[in-house]
Amino acid sequence: MSTTLKRVHGYLAEFDSVQDLYHAAEQVRDAGYNRWDVHSPFPIHGMDAAMGNPRSKLPYLVFCGGITGTTVAFILQTVTQTNFWGSLGLTFVENIVETYPTIVQAKPTDIWTLPAFFPVMFELTILFSAFTTLFGLLAIIGLPRWNHPLFASKRFAKFSDDGFFVCIEARDPKFSQEGTKALLEKAGGRNIELVEDEI
Amino acid sequence: MSHHVSFNDLPQGGEKFEPAKGGKLINALGGVGALGILGSLYYFFASRDTFSYSWLFAFFFTFTFVVGGCFWILLHSASNSSWGVAVRRVWENLANMILPLAIFAVPLLLPSVQTHLYEWMNHHREAAHHVGEHAKDVKEALHHAAEANPHLHILVTKFGYMNLSTWFSWYTRFALFFLILWHIARTLRGKSLQQEQDGDIKHTMASRSFSCRWLLFYALTVTFAAYDWLVGLDYSWFSTMWGVYIFAGCAWASMGLTILVVTWLKSLGYLQKVVTDEHYHLMGKLLFAFTVFWAYIAFSQYFLIWYANITEETRFYLTRNTEGWRWVSIFIVAGHFVAPFLLLLSQPRKKKPAVISAVCIWILFMHLVDIYWNVIPERGPSLGVGVLVPGAWVQDVVALCAVFGTMGFLFLRGLAKYSLYPWRDPRLIESVNVVN
Repeated sequence: MSTTLKRVHGYLAEFDSVQDLYHAAEQVRDAGYNRWDVHSPFPIHGMDAAMGNPRSKLPYLVFCGGITGTTVAFILQTVTQTNFWGSLGLTFVENIVETYPTIVQAKPTDIWTLPAFFPVMFELTILFSAFTTLFGLLAIIGLPRWNHPLFASKRFAKFSDDGFFVCIEARDPKFSQEGTKALLEKAGGRNIELVEDEI
Repeated sequence: MSHHVSFNDLPQGGEKFEPAKGGKLINALGGVGALGILGSLYYFFASRDTFSYSWLFAFFFTFTFVVGGCFWILLHSASNSSWGVAVRRVWENLANMILPLAIFAVPLLLPSVQTHLYEWMNHHREAAHHVGEHAKDVKEALHHAAEANPHLHILVTKFGYMNLSTWFSWYTRFALFFLILWHIARTLRGKSLQQEQDGDIKHTMASRSFSCRWLLFYALTVTFAAYDWLVGLDYSWFSTMWGVYIFAGCAWASMGLTILVVTWLKSLGYLQKVVTDEHYHLMGKLLFAFTVFWAYIAFSQYFLIWYANITEETRFYLTRNTEGWRWVSIFIVAGHFVAPFLLLLSQPRKKKPAVISAVCIWILFMHLVDIYWNVIPERGPSLGVGVLVPGAWVQDVVALCAVFGTMGFLFLRGLAKYSLYPWRDPRLIESVNVVN
């Protein structure tokens, strides 16, 4: 005999088609819910607007990542190959250049060798931007994770095949056992079930 | 979704442009063009040496827009995209300006103009005089001349391309450039107009297969034209990036011009339902892409030449790094790349017609500076009068007024000939309602 503690995750409702899902999303949005999501086997154009999602913060992260890449590449190359930092007064940095000078093609060792550093600056900008995009995205959407409470629902497995779902989570301040269910029914949801998470 | 436009919301027969409505701009361009032509006639006889460069600059600047318009219809048809149907007619009209432009190219065929622009032609013509004495052809005569003047040896090795006498001569290519561009422009607009008669999808299909085939010839045309007219100014110079560098500028500037023309037409009350903010966003994205592409190519060209440090190659940048030209070079880096890059980065700015049109005016100006910077620095050294020819900028302005003013006048008036958009294109409605 065993006892399991359970916590209500939220209401899950199934819809027949993309259109129904889209209009249901508009209704949930207009009802003022924040903690909810839709699930479909494929991306749906215009769903962002129907859900009332704000614009992603990711571009700002990527911009900072890109700028960091440019700066890192600039510093790495100028410290090791030019007297630029020495000329700014950082003489201890200049020792590196004097110990191991890398003079290529008789190019000057001052800042005007800059064009030679552009390819690396460009590449690191791309690399850091790409990393920030990937890892920033994973951080924002909360992946990777071991499990998701919605997997407790047998019906939910259809989300990767032919099922269209809306899930309103219990931690939403507007969530109520009757009101939320009524809203999903009004929106045309079928097989509405209360998903519970084992803890 | 709510503002879905259907076929019946649009006027039957498309929208016809009445030149009287946009009379102010059209007349201004016409007036500027007429004055420019008068001034050009004066300078053509008064100072042909310096004015030849002015004319080449003005002609080539205008040529880049026509070439760019040609590229956008080719790409649009070849990639089978639907979003641009609403603005395609502007490109078609732009590309078809190749025919009147050919008239402005005629001065480049005159030996009295060529002698100031293309030093290699002088050597070839002189060598042609000596054919028969000791040499059996021009190439051999050049070879003899190179024994006395080793600088000319490069003309012998480049003879296969740079010559005036074989089947693939400078003159043959000159004719081919205009014939190929005219054929592309005429065929694609022709199919588009036929479709307005019968509304048949087969014209769209035919345009697609035509474009796929002719893109290759288009690319060769742009590359060779850029070589023959601009690289030829200094016969010892060469750069494998040159063709694509000029092409990037063409596509960039003509997209900027397209946005401005569309904004102008909308301000006169046309295309209200046809062109939306979404189209501005799409065109803005392409503009942004070509800002970066141009910078990538321009830097690659500079970088390769700077790093390799070969005498014949570095001359190009040395000339443009001397005295005042150095500041123009730096200005181009900031104005041609950095400023448009930052301005076009954000989505809301690309979606606001007023903002992106202002950026486009800046873009046209920077393209002008870019072409000026490519052509004019050769003038002083080639004519042997130092870095700059004092006061010659007036002639540049006069030539620009003559070519760009007249062509602008003809282009805007020509918009009245057909509907402003292909009104029976099967994908027009898809384009009008585009969301991205």
